[in-house]
Amino acid sequence: MDLLRFVLMRLGKGVIVLFAIAVLNFFLVRAAPGDPAQVMAGEAGAGDEVFLDQLRQQFGLDRPLYEQLWAYLSNYATLDLGFSYRQQQPVLDLILERLPATLLLTGAAFFISLVLGVVLGALAARRVGRWSDSAITTLALVFYATPLFWIALMSQIVFSLKLGWLPNVGFETVGGGYTGIDRALDIIQHLIMPALTLGLFFTAIYARMMRASMLEVAGADFVKTAYAKGLSPAVITRRHIARNAILPVVTLAGLQAGQLVGGAILTETVFAWPGIGRLMFEALAQRDYSVLLGVFFISSAMVVIFNLVTDIIYRIVDPRIGASA
Amino acid sequence: MNAFTRFASNRGAIVGLGLLLLLVAVVLLAPLLYPQSPWRMVGRPMGAPLAGSFLLGTDTLGRDVAAGIVHGARVSLLIGVVSTVVALLIGVPLGAVAGYFGGLIDDLVMRFTEFFQTIPSFALAIVVVAILQPTLLSIVLAIAIVSWPPVTRLIRGEFLSLRSREYVQAAITVGQSTPRIIFTQILPNTLAPIIVMASLMVATAILLESSLSFLGLGDPNLMTWGYMVGAGRSRIIDAWWISFFPGVAIFLTVLALNLVGEGINDALNPRLRKEDRK
Amino acid sequence: MIMRTYFVAGVAALAFALSSAAQAQVQGGSVSVVVTPEPPMLMQALNQNGPTNMIAGNIYESLLRFNERLEPQPSLAQSWEVSEDGTVYTFKLQENVTWHDGKPFSADDVVFSLDVFLREVHPRWRPIVNNQVKSIEKVDNNTVRLTLKQPFGPLLLAMETASAPIVPKHIYEGTAYASNPMNNTPIGTGPFKFKEWNRGSYVHLVKNEDYWMDGRPYLDEIYWRFIPDAAARAVAYETGEVDVLSGGAVDIFDVPRLSQLENSCVTSKGWEMFAPHAWITINHRNGILGNQQFRQGLMHAIDREFGRDVVWNGFGQLPTGPISSKTRFYDAEVVTYDYDPEKARELIKASGYTGEPLEFLALPYGETWTRWAETIRQNFADVGVNLQIVTTDVPGWTQRTSEWNFDMTFNFLYQLGDPAIGVARSYISSNIIKGSPFANVGGYSNEKADQLFAEAAIVPKEEERQALYTQVQKLLAEDLPVLWLLEMDYPTIHRCNVKNLVTTAIGINDGFRDAWKE
Repeated sequence: MDLLRFVLMRLGKGVIVLFAIAVLNFFLVRAAPGDPAQVMAGEAGAGDEVFLDQLRQQFGLDRPLYEQLWAYLSNYATLDLGFSYRQQQPVLDLILERLPATLLLTGAAFFISLVLGVVLGALAARRVGRWSDSAITTLALVFYATPLFWIALMSQIVFSLKLGWLPNVGFETVGGGYTGIDRALDIIQHLIMPALTLGLFFTAIYARMMRASMLEVAGADFVKTAYAKGLSPAVITRRHIARNAILPVVTLAGLQAGQLVGGAILTETVFAWPGIGRLMFEALAQRDYSVLLGVFFISSAMVVIFNLVTDIIYRIVDPRIGASA
Repeated sequence: MNAFTRFASNRGAIVGLGLLLLLVAVVLLAPLLYPQSPWRMVGRPMGAPLAGSFLLGTDTLGRDVAAGIVHGARVSLLIGVVSTVVALLIGVPLGAVAGYFGGLIDDLVMRFTEFFQTIPSFALAIVVVAILQPTLLSIVLAIAIVSWPPVTRLIRGEFLSLRSREYVQAAITVGQSTPRIIFTQILPNTLAPIIVMASLMVATAILLESSLSFLGLGDPNLMTWGYMVGAGRSRIIDAWWISFFPGVAIFLTVLALNLVGEGINDALNPRLRKEDRK
Repeated sequence: MIMRTYFVAGVAALAFALSSAAQAQVQGGSVSVVVTPEPPMLMQALNQNGPTNMIAGNIYESLLRFNERLEPQPSLAQSWEVSEDGTVYTFKLQENVTWHDGKPFSADDVVFSLDVFLREVHPRWRPIVNNQVKSIEKVDNNTVRLTLKQPFGPLLLAMETASAPIVPKHIYEGTAYASNPMNNTPIGTGPFKFKEWNRGSYVHLVKNEDYWMDGRPYLDEIYWRFIPDAAARAVAYETGEVDVLSGGAVDIFDVPRLSQLENSCVTSKGWEMFAPHAWITINHRNGILGNQQFRQGLMHAIDREFGRDVVWNGFGQLPTGPISSKTRFYDAEVVTYDYDPEKARELIKASGYTGEPLEFLALPYGETWTRWAETIRQNFADVGVNLQIVTTDVPGWTQRTSEWNFDMTFNFLYQLGDPAIGVARSYISSNIIKGSPFANVGGYSNEKADQLFAEAAIVPKEEERQALYTQVQKLLAEDLPVLWLLEMDYPTIHRCNVKNLVTTAIGINDGFRDAWKE
């Protein structure tokens, strides 16, 4: 029951953090110049005062700020994320419509980066100082150091335009009418490039970390003991070093998984992937306050949840760690 | 072997250091190499590298790409270094206080840090720049705001473990003042991890600036590499050099910073290398 | 009363189109169009966003449509008459029109739309109906009469779908228009029906089988795709993922390359109604900017041809004044300003400019505009004018412009077919109002110009209007309330086997009625 108490405590803290974030976001978003009514007047290519007043009234922007804050917070308390007057849709619907695409993209990218990162990092560590180590480290750096939007476009040009292997935009073939397995395959085809582009960036980070972690564990006493026992180096690397070295990598990855959800803005933009990162960026550009706040909230909640899950896994894997960690 | 000789015997680290020195030289010599403003349209638009009198070609408006890279080095590095310094100025004191005092203070600081780590960082950076309008200052600030929390975590960890060391305990027993202990006993011992982390933060900041620039949130009066890659990327099919060379510049800088960071890390943790050489 | 009847050529053209339909046009097919950015909603009367109009113009219809010479053509009105004194308009409506939900369409819908719905919600129709219109009445089920307070030359032009779409009375009457749930499933009379909106990806429209015009539309379906990155849009066209790139969907420099591909056609037509006119807005309140000589100096300093040829890749024409050469009432006989840095320096010196820095608020509409601002900063620097570029995002730009918080900025405005609707608003002093970036935000005020514009809108004869607009153009070209830079072209790129795509003055905004695929 220790675990249960731990989870409840963490959830409690998470709720407090989320509440504070909700308040901060509210003021952040309002601090930006311009408001949604002005934006819509701008887009309309016209806009008399009546038009602006109508919109502001509709959006509730004519009410005092504290009233708006109160309405917003009390809505959130009941898990009601509000309504986007610009899009005439409840915010939660808009987000839920986009969330699966984001989860798929970030999930795939997460998986790719973790597996590749751990494997490459372990390889590099085993061959530390040799050319294969340098090759892996450099390759990882290339993906880390090249702006993501540049890689994204480059891969579209190579794999979509020149080679014609993969579709360059979208979630699935529009008007393809696929169902079942065919649809899944179609989505996977669309997923490959964005997931790799996003994943390779993180691969670089995990590979570096895995390498460092392996090297550190390799010097630990229990590894020396294992050598003393006469175990073969391959077995030691696999059973003793890699297994222990992977823990901090997984922890970091878990922390970043939550961030990924809100952090795929660039990838979603360049590949026209219909996820919430794009929704957020577009909402910012239109000052669609309720949507912007909603996405912020949901992605922050994701971070809290992912962190918690990581901690739980960690505790299960490594029971030595106390609840306070 | 001391740390310095270990660093010097690390080929990668030396290459990285060489690259960094070259970069600093370029920054210092920029006004001599290309006295004119990098924004000046000096040639035929979209001239290929070496085809005319321009080493790296010209961009869509006929501006010299090489001049852009040389002048861009200054701003890109400035953004990288200053935002890192600001992040350290926020992160180190918070981490130190949390780690040294522990208890309630630690709890408060860590909640505060967690708070900032919970908001998706890139999104937060975008919002901050959008609020303040894109200027050098707001970009540096936005980058700093999203990059300090890991620093705090790192420093807190270091302080937690260093605080229980004998020489610190001894200083406490002797009755040294708290600031004195923090500044003279503990902080110097955290310098190594700080330097390693900072070298990576500079690299990340340069990348972050390029992403902001790509989204239209760069300062339009400053030539940066990120701006050049972003502005040239859509012409990659007909004029690859416009975005390729600044991209290479970013890559080499990040590579150099990483190599140096890694070199310092390995030099200060000799155990790692020795063990592996068995 | 003698009525002038405009039983225009449109009817003949219609008959011709119908007869030729049977032979050449192919029925069926699907077309994918890129439109950018994604619109907030498709209820055209409530939202005047460019992309909204582009998509919804094929769902909703108005009384008239316009050919590329801006002559009215039948749409929901099959014919119309204007009284001799220009104050009474009688519209005869098409028969057997139904809404997409099967309910019949009638004069009641038209009266409701023009007199009630649009008067309440539409920022462009409202001033016209409030200031110019005395009454709108139903004569019989298929006839509507609109009576003006005084003659108003551009009235028919205001009947275009973006300005006056006809909405279903049975859905909206007595409801809160803006929050009516039916806004999400728009019901119009147009050739295509709304099927599905997969947000972030596409809008799917399907053929209206009961469309009032026999045989139309030809296409079975249209997909409107949303791809946020311009370079990715270009790749999507090249790989065949999409068939049509609407104007402005790709960066202008990609146009030549994309149009040279196999089976790729490009047209600059279909923007005659809008005729976007780009200029530098000058804030006349800010010191030296109020000085005519200084502005003339700036105009000589700008290399406008470079802007067109390099920044805009040769697309567009150099304007001479406030009225686009693509629209009516244009007159080229005005003072012109060559690129002449020498002369610019003299004028600027004479104006008393002392080198104080000026701020240029960049227009956040993509790379091309940013590049353009950079060249202008260079042009100004060459004549000793110190220009700092300030960037912001779209809401920031809108706010600063609407609230007059800038020195100079780009803007481009649609001419909307008639100077009284699309041109006067930027120069007349009665439109110096805060709140909209499309008002006279620079604060330019010239009594003579005010008078000329006011008179030109209401004199009944075309020739009289022309004379007044000629005067106004001469006056403004001398005074330079803004610095006109470019009559912009918005080329539409499409697969050559998508035929008959651009047939009206608003191009693909209502073009899919007649389009077909080979």
